[in-house]
Amino acid sequence: MARVSKHEASSPPALATAAQGQRPLASAHRSALTRLEPLLQALAVPVALLVLWQLGANLGLLPAWLVSPAAIGAQFGAWLVSGELFLHARDSLYRSLSGFALGALFGVVLGLLAGVSPRVASFFDPLISLTYPVPKIAILPVLIVWFGISDTSKIVLILISCFYPCFIAALYGVRAADQTWIWAAQNMGASGWQVFWKVIVPAAAPQIFAGLRVALALAFILMFSSEMIGSSNRTGLGFLILNAEAGGRFDAIFAAILAIGILGFVCDRLLLAVRNRLLVGQSIAEGRHG
Amino acid sequence: MASTAQARAAAPARSGWQTAVHAVLGFVGRWYSVAVVLLLWELIVRSGWVNPRLFPSLGVIWDQLVLMFSRGTIWDHLLATLIRVAAGFGLACAGGVLLGFAMARFRWVDRLFEPLFSFGYPIPRVALYPVFVFVFGLGHLSKIAMIFLECLYPIAVNTYYGTRAVNERYVWAARNMGANEVQVFWKVIVPSALPQIFAGLRIALPVALVIAILTEMIGATEGMGYLIAYASASLSRSQVFAGVVVIAVVGFVLDRVLAIVRRRLVFWERESVQLL
Repeated sequence: MARVSKHEASSPPALATAAQGQRPLASAHRSALTRLEPLLQALAVPVALLVLWQLGANLGLLPAWLVSPAAIGAQFGAWLVSGELFLHARDSLYRSLSGFALGALFGVVLGLLAGVSPRVASFFDPLISLTYPVPKIAILPVLIVWFGISDTSKIVLILISCFYPCFIAALYGVRAADQTWIWAAQNMGASGWQVFWKVIVPAAAPQIFAGLRVALALAFILMFSSEMIGSSNRTGLGFLILNAEAGGRFDAIFAAILAIGILGFVCDRLLLAVRNRLLVGQSIAEGRHG
Repeated sequence: MASTAQARAAAPARSGWQTAVHAVLGFVGRWYSVAVVLLLWELIVRSGWVNPRLFPSLGVIWDQLVLMFSRGTIWDHLLATLIRVAAGFGLACAGGVLLGFAMARFRWVDRLFEPLFSFGYPIPRVALYPVFVFVFGLGHLSKIAMIFLECLYPIAVNTYYGTRAVNERYVWAARNMGANEVQVFWKVIVPSALPQIFAGLRIALPVALVIAILTEMIGATEGMGYLIAYASASLSRSQVFAGVVVIAVVGFVLDRVLAIVRRRLVFWERESVQLL
């Protein structure tokens, strides 16, 4: 897994060098260009695909559902200007992020507890292992009955789904804490509480962030799907897609997908930035897959 | 499991009935929380605090389950969902593992696909489903394609990292002993990447089921997701709960089957902590 972190590190530095490359220093110019090269290489294929896509659309070679990037961009821009996009994005983010935050809170706290207390672990273990492979989306109709077609049912669904990866990650993070460190801390006179906060939690942190990352991706999937299935309050990006689909507006469908993609990507990068801040110096056995 | 295993290990020193008691105690000790939760549910329903239509009792859900299976209507839905999961997951296994190996082995494949995977990973790809419906129709194909796309990511990414993490010394040792490239691949690289590949499969399998149910709930004419959405629309709560129970059992069984396959293929390594 050590390999993973090496690979993981390759993209943020690429972005950082891109920012430095804009400094108007003649001497730094050459080296900046060579440092930009990986970024350019990474962008080459997507850009080429986009150009081909646009060309094909202009020449009328593509089927009707594959509208040109320019048309998608135009629709996206129109939404940005009218502010409609922000309205839907705000509602979607509210649902996904509050569900994620609550699920992460419960999951991490209970997971840490289960990690340090065998009694808590033995209570939760069978429940978790029985219900973990169950697709949580199946209980959306039940939740809609209990909480109505509201934000609450969506948030509860996202909470439940995010709980699992966070709980499991925290539990195994604690279990993976090196016993020697705990003994060392106790030997130096640390109280139980100090051992927990100063040794166990930091040791579990990389795993916990891996779990948070999985949960965040889940939160976005469930946000989209709960809005598609049970959104009668007519807001959210999932509803935008539903609406565009009903009107046969492919440019609007793709523009909404683009918005969801951007939000998902930005939130993921924010989480990574927080992790890199908090875990300075900790080598992390973590991949983008969690 | 640990406690029953301990009980068994301690068995020779004890008489027969003591062993049995220990086994039972171990079983109860492990699974009591499930009983506690079910009991709590039943108590809440019986107490009359909640509307029994919204919270059907366990007995009502059981009756509904029996009814569904005796009528036989559920089999078609179950079969449709299972076909979609199997086809989508199977294709994603084949494609993802091949792609992961190719990305780890050939630099140009890596350059071509790496951006797609690193930038595409946090994006909810299921948002493309409406487009897939237009392209592939409302039947099996759109669901299978969606499951394939969602499962491809964890499988390919895990295969890629698993293959890259193969210890070079094993490869050198094999070459040194005269193994050709094909032998190195099958005898060294595949076995050492296998645990990580299975970690990817373990992530992908529940995803496959989620996407199947989800896409069926959004738009389908058969399948377990459709059944639940239909029951929910016709205000039959007990049928919704029965459907959820069936889906839960399916998810659990699929997960167990994968665990058994893993134990067969990766017999030399116990399943690590990678439930995620």
